This record gives sequence, C-alpha cells and structure tokens, in this order.
Amino acid sequence: MTAQSADIPAHLPHRYPFLLVDRVLEREPGVRVVAEKLVTNGEPYLQGHFEGRPLVPGVLLLEMLAQAGGFLEAASLHGSAIFLAGVQDARFKAPALPGDRLRLEVHAEGAFAGLMKIRGTVSCEGRDLCTAALLVKRL
Amino acid sequence: MSDLKLRVKDMIIERLKLEGMTPDQIDDDAPLFGDGLGLDSIDALELVLGIEQVFGVKIEDEAAGLKAFKSVQALTDFIAEHTKA
Repeated sequence: MTAQSADIPAHLPHRYPFLLVDRVLEREPGVRVVAEKLVTNGEPYLQGHFEGRPLVPGVLLLEMLAQAGGFLEAASLHGSAIFLAGVQDARFKAPALPGDRLRLEVHAEGAFAGLMKIRGTVSCEGRDLCTAALLVKRL
Repeated sequence: MSDLKLRVKDMIIERLKLEGMTPDQIDDDAPLFGDGLGLDSIDALELVLGIEQVFGVKIEDEAAGLKAFKSVQALTDFIAEHTKA
C-alpha cells in the first residue's frame, strides 16, 4: 500500500505543532513504514534551538520515528495514541537542518502483550542522521 | 545445571543486560516477574525476542508467556518442549 494516501491526521492523533510526519511513502502494516518529514525554517522549535544556528533537537528525531511507527498499526490511531515506553541504542550521527527532506524508516521487530519494539533510521539524502530502537505501547 | 538451562540463563543475562549477574545467582524456581528477578513488561518483550532469536521458539501470546515466564525452570521446559524434532 502506498500512502500519499494516508490521510495523516485521520491516522495519527498528533496535531500542529507536534505532527512530525508529512508524507507516508511506503506502508506494510505490522512490518515496515517509510515516511517523510520536510524541515523548514518555520518550525517553532528552531527559533530557540538554537538562535542563529537552527538544528532539529535529537529527541524530535526520535519522536518522528515513533510517529512513523504509528503507521505500522493497521487501524487508525485517531483517539488512541501510542506512547513511548522506552528508547534504546539511540545514536545521533549528524544534525537535521532546515531544508532537509528527512526519510523516516521504521520496521517492527516484535510485539508482546501490547508492547511493540521498532527499529528506525532518520536519514537525509542517503546519510543516516539518527538510529534507535523504540518501545511503544498502545493504550 | 542442564546445558539448556544454562543457555537460557545466559540469554536472560545478556538480553536484559543484568550486568554482574552470573547464571548460578538466578534461582531456577523463582518467578521471573514480580518478586523474583523483578522483571517488567519491557523485559518480557525483550525475552520474547531473545527466545525467538536464540532458540527459534515463538511465544505467541500472553497465555503462553504466563506459562513460560513462571520461572527459569518453566522457561527451560517450555523451550525444550517446543524445540523437539
């Protein structure tokens, strides 16, 4: 299923300024998702992070992966967010900057008792910026 | 200690990063969750993934988990039972 489609606001409960997925490029529920986030100078957090040297906070790269992970769920999450339960092996290799087209790639590693482990990479033009494993829980 | 039980304990220690713990410090019959090793639900998912990776045994659902995670002994028995040719 390709999902330019994905009516993103219908699927994720997140809203401006915290909706951090712009497009879903590839989607195999339960297996793998590739999404995109386009970073612009207008992002509210860039105003102070940092003054004169805007770069996307690392924790927001993790949040982008978590939100992309929301599309691993087959059904819409509207009204029932998934929550972060853990972050493992997070590495930040290079900064994400205004103008970057970020590729958010996540795959499901396994699930048990309502918890899912996903592994993801944020990259830009073929260069990895951030890799991490996330534990998410649907409530 | 049976060879399989030792491998199960090694897997638990490695997967859950129980640094400084040795296999003989894990009681065969103590519960893995709650009072025994005091593991939580994130540890449970890590164990499910570790058991699949190391022993090729799937713990399909919570009912199977409830049985397998009673103790190291129960987990060893569960793996032995599901790896029989």
